[in-house]
Amino acid sequence: MRQAGTYSGIGSGKTGPHLLPLARIKKIMKRSGEEVKMISGESPIVFSKACELFIKELTQRSWMLTIKGKTRTLSKQDVASAVMATDLFDFLLNLVSDSD
Amino acid sequence: MAENIIGASNEDDVGIKEQDRLLPIANVGRIMKQIVPPNAKISKEAKETMQECVSEFIGFVTSEASQKCRKERRKTVTGDDICWALATLGFDNYEAPLKRYLHKFRELEGEKAANQMKATGHDYKQEEEEDEQYPLKFSLIGRNQQ
Repeated sequence: MRQAGTYSGIGSGKTGPHLLPLARIKKIMKRSGEEVKMISGESPIVFSKACELFIKELTQRSWMLTIKGKTRTLSKQDVASAVMATDLFDFLLNLVSDSD
Repeated sequence: MAENIIGASNEDDVGIKEQDRLLPIANVGRIMKQIVPPNAKISKEAKETMQECVSEFIGFVTSEASQKCRKERRKTVTGDDICWALATLGFDNYEAPLKRYLHKFRELEGEKAANQMKATGHDYKQEEEEDEQYPLKFSLIGRNQQ
């Protein structure tokens, strides 16, 4: 599998410049509410980067908790704990507590 | 209101597949792998949880952006609206990298649009999207894995 770490920016790579599929992002955006009618072509592009940053931040915070437990496997509970420990991720609290 | 994560549809829209709610697990997992050391493992459930979190993130930010558009009586959610919503919701440290990314993209697309204008006389950049036509217009992303 091609190592995503070699991705350095727009226009590089055979898999396309974005790490996340834009059409899918657009679908998810549209599901967020009735009032979302039209979406500029750029919005999914911005989100593809924002989601990448988000995933990285949440993963980083989760991993910090994983290593406290002295394992090398990042678990679902680590993600849940990272959410609970971070004010910025309050909007995820219901999601991670329901899933247990 | 609790939402089923696994399988069953409580969805209002009967036609929507479970998978359309989420970004592909392979893509999400790949990004997660960039953060952890090479010998680290990530459980499948952790990736699934991350998928759910990202979709929630997209919905959360999009709602904020679209409310702003409604207040300002604009119909289209733009990249700048997303940036604004992110900053408003506390993700202000994303703002700089996003602006760089968007700027780069606009530069590239500006070139492509200029070429396309010459070819077809059609300025696709100004158009607003209502459905799934745009993958054809952005040949950069024409080969998305779905």
